[in-house]
Amino acid sequence: MPESSSPSPVPAGHPFRRKGRGTDGLIRAFFGANAGLTIVILVLIIVFLVREGAGFFPDYRKELELYRKAGLEFVDFPRKDLTAHEQMSSLLNRAYFAQVNSACRREFLRSAEATAIVTYVNETVTPAQSALQRVKEGVGEGGEIPKDLQASLTAKYKELAAKAIAGKAGKGLPPAPHLTSEEVTGLLNVLADRDPLSTEDPPFITAVDEQLAAKKAEAAAPFADFKATIDEFSEASSALDTLISESGDVVKATKEGATLHEIEITKRATLLEAAAKTNKPELKTQLEADAQAAVTTEPVDFKAAVEPVLARMGEFRDANATLGKSASEILAKLPAKLEDEKANRYLSAFRKALPEYQNEVGDTVGKMEAWKYDLPVGLGSTLWGFIAGRDWITGGEWQDFYGIIPLFVGSLLIAIIALALAIPLGVGAAIYTNQLAGRREQNFIKPTIEFLQAIPSVVLGFLGIAVLGTLLQENSTKDAFSWVPGFPIQQRLNMFTAGCLLGLMAIPTIFTLSEDALNNVPSAFAEASDALGASKLQTIFRVVCPAAISGILAAVLLGLGRVIGETMVVLLVAGNRIEIPDFSEGLGVFFQPAHTLTGIIAQELGEVPFGSVHYRALFVVGLVLFIMVLGINWSAQRILHKFRIGHE
Amino acid sequence: MDNPEQLIRKGVHHTALKEGAVKGFLGGLTWGVVLVALLIFGKICWDGVPTLLKPEAPFVDIGFLTKETETLHVFDDSAGTRHSMPASEYHAWVDKNGSAAVFNEQTYAYSGGGIAGPIIGTALLTLLSIVIALFFGVAAAIYLSEYAKQGRFINLVRLAILNLAGVPSIVFGLFGFAVFVLAAPVFTGDPADRTLLAIPLGFTYLSFQGWNSSLIAGSATLACMILPVIITASEESLRAVPQGFREASLALGATRWHTIRKCVLPFALPGILTSSVLSLARAAGETAPIMFTAAVAAKELPWANPWVMLQNQVQALPYHIYTLAARIPTSEYTQRAQYGSVFVFLMMIFIFSALSMFLRQRVRSKLKW
Repeated sequence: MPESSSPSPVPAGHPFRRKGRGTDGLIRAFFGANAGLTIVILVLIIVFLVREGAGFFPDYRKELELYRKAGLEFVDFPRKDLTAHEQMSSLLNRAYFAQVNSACRREFLRSAEATAIVTYVNETVTPAQSALQRVKEGVGEGGEIPKDLQASLTAKYKELAAKAIAGKAGKGLPPAPHLTSEEVTGLLNVLADRDPLSTEDPPFITAVDEQLAAKKAEAAAPFADFKATIDEFSEASSALDTLISESGDVVKATKEGATLHEIEITKRATLLEAAAKTNKPELKTQLEADAQAAVTTEPVDFKAAVEPVLARMGEFRDANATLGKSASEILAKLPAKLEDEKANRYLSAFRKALPEYQNEVGDTVGKMEAWKYDLPVGLGSTLWGFIAGRDWITGGEWQDFYGIIPLFVGSLLIAIIALALAIPLGVGAAIYTNQLAGRREQNFIKPTIEFLQAIPSVVLGFLGIAVLGTLLQENSTKDAFSWVPGFPIQQRLNMFTAGCLLGLMAIPTIFTLSEDALNNVPSAFAEASDALGASKLQTIFRVVCPAAISGILAAVLLGLGRVIGETMVVLLVAGNRIEIPDFSEGLGVFFQPAHTLTGIIAQELGEVPFGSVHYRALFVVGLVLFIMVLGINWSAQRILHKFRIGHE
Repeated sequence: MDNPEQLIRKGVHHTALKEGAVKGFLGGLTWGVVLVALLIFGKICWDGVPTLLKPEAPFVDIGFLTKETETLHVFDDSAGTRHSMPASEYHAWVDKNGSAAVFNEQTYAYSGGGIAGPIIGTALLTLLSIVIALFFGVAAAIYLSEYAKQGRFINLVRLAILNLAGVPSIVFGLFGFAVFVLAAPVFTGDPADRTLLAIPLGFTYLSFQGWNSSLIAGSATLACMILPVIITASEESLRAVPQGFREASLALGATRWHTIRKCVLPFALPGILTSSVLSLARAAGETAPIMFTAAVAAKELPWANPWVMLQNQVQALPYHIYTLAARIPTSEYTQRAQYGSVFVFLMMIFIFSALSMFLRQRVRSKLKW
């Protein structure tokens, strides 16, 4: 604070004049410095994220340049077609199998349930059974097993088998809703009477499997033409496949040569530096000799190396034409409609994707012809490759890509699920507790929801793995839920499970802040509304809630911030598959596994070498996350400030 | 619609029905959330209690709390009986019966023995971080409530506190890794290659090469994370002390510092400590910030003297649970370690939270001016 400039009545040198400069001033400065610490921490966070991340783009650009020079990019053009072709074939195959399997769903479940029962019994009797086997092996072919040992082990086996059949071992007998009780009893009886040494499946299993196979064959018969079309379509890529794998080997060798040469050059530089520093003559000559010996390879001539691949352009063109032809022909051969709803969805997804696929295949030759090995890679395109990149591939042999889209989409979809759960529940609970509930109810609800907030995220993640994931997956196979898109769930750990748990974490945040906002609405508002004759509901939904809407919105945004920034739950429960989810599944997309911005940092930071491109990429992801969450929080503050109603 | 009386009667009837429906719906949502919370708590207790409590005296499985983490071995003996025992017992058993007697052996890492290591590690991490955060946080709060006047600096500080509170925990983990693990200053005679800056001091170097993954680095990271909470809560308690106390003290000629020390801090202290208990629960519960800065999956007890311990990695309960949940497949043999750890951890957190709630009530009812 600037001192006032008016002449002071206190004479110079008097202790009063030392105000702000003596011990008191020091103490003040000390406390001020501590307050400044928060700024320092925030600045340090930004500085270090930027510092570690800044090196990413130049390094990544260098990698991409090598990727182009060595010709990997050239081979990746047709490879993309190949991947797209595989995806298209897989769509058709999925449609086919969905159609066939839907007809024999019951048989399929019966087979699975019967197998589960047998596996369960087998696992339970394993200790006694393997002991028996060992004893038998021990005495050899002709030998006799000692009677008492045989008897005791057999008794043990019987005991375990009886326990298993009574359903008392482990988790109990697996449920079998699609088998009749006679069938289950029959199966168990066969298992109980089985020879202690036999691990063979009972005949019932074979029978059920045969039923399944017969039903499958029956269901598949009308679709033989469809299957033939699919196979023909899949076959169309074989020429391209061989071509790509052969030229892939060539360019990979080029890249490896170039990398090796660079490593050797760096090593030489390090050795020469050391030689320049040392002052012992013999060590110096030794180091210099080592430095000269360090470089054993010639620099790679990229132009010559890529020549043989470019020479096969004609073959690439032919293979591409085959692919294009198969794509343009297939539409006429496909059945117009499939009976099964899911199969139909796959088929229409195929139809929808086909024009884009054809375009892609059509463009490839042009791209390959325009490609030049020595075109420089701009920093802008590197940046774009990070922001809009659809692949996050690391630690691979071919080429590492750092594209943030798959992670971002994962984070976003999980946040959508979490908010879809947390907004109605959190805001609804806040309105109920604040406006409708009695005092005693309030005193119970509020602490309970606060306790929910205290549960550490790693505990929720553990529960997701141990309980919720299994529970959802098991229930999704039930007939009553077969209409839900995405059911039955393929992966136990998926975005939906993670979203549910994150929603649970966001509920307390949204609840507490919304409740505060409702509380802050001046009571005069409600009283005036009552006085005008409005009903209780009208007062709540037309007067109180609109007055508190800014607070509620801010609460939702802060909840979103918490969901986006949460790590442990998504790391444990989201399934950690780094891929853009398959949107052709419709709403079923939410039941696929995914990876997230936070999860990738937690998972990979411990494994990457210090200072590598990958390491820096993780810091850039951290920076993106930091900016996102800061933006969300900032908007929440703005909303609170701008639309504040009532007294403060 | 012409007859107003009819309108009113109809309206009332209709509204009552609607009100009941809306109230029932919202109440259902609310009690649904409460039910889920209770279910989670119940599930963990249901599965955790059998692993920790025993029917006979002393009723608590002391071994689980006091033994260190070991690998669990599950095997059949030659008579077909299944055994499961931690590594130390297993080796004794093998020494006695010979390795030929072991069949169908399976091992489950970190699932045997007890969780003494993680408990001690978490306690140390939390205590150290709360000490650091309280020191800086209370000092900052004193400045904010006692010294500061409106100005640019104060606005900046408040903005920083607000933003710091919203930073995701994994970003704190990255920050701790980049700053405390890799760049914090140490005195060393032999600076590492990756050092940012090495200042020669004659007899030694002040090298900015970080503290490595260690107890102190993890505590510092956690302290940064809970700092905004501590500052906000402490400032609130300081502001709750009536202005008259300060004025009276200053009027008697006491200096500002003297006033703060004798007339403000003692009355604000209960409130500050109460809120710090809540931060304690938060610091103990976080996993992401300590993943790269302090935690390690396995470490043998005892952990040497305090000075060495500060510079070494520790086990921590949340990280232990993460390891058990993520790396070890769930089976009947791992349940004891998994649910037991989760139960103990949750109990710790809940005791802290409940304690802070209880203290808050008491402080509020006791300190009235």
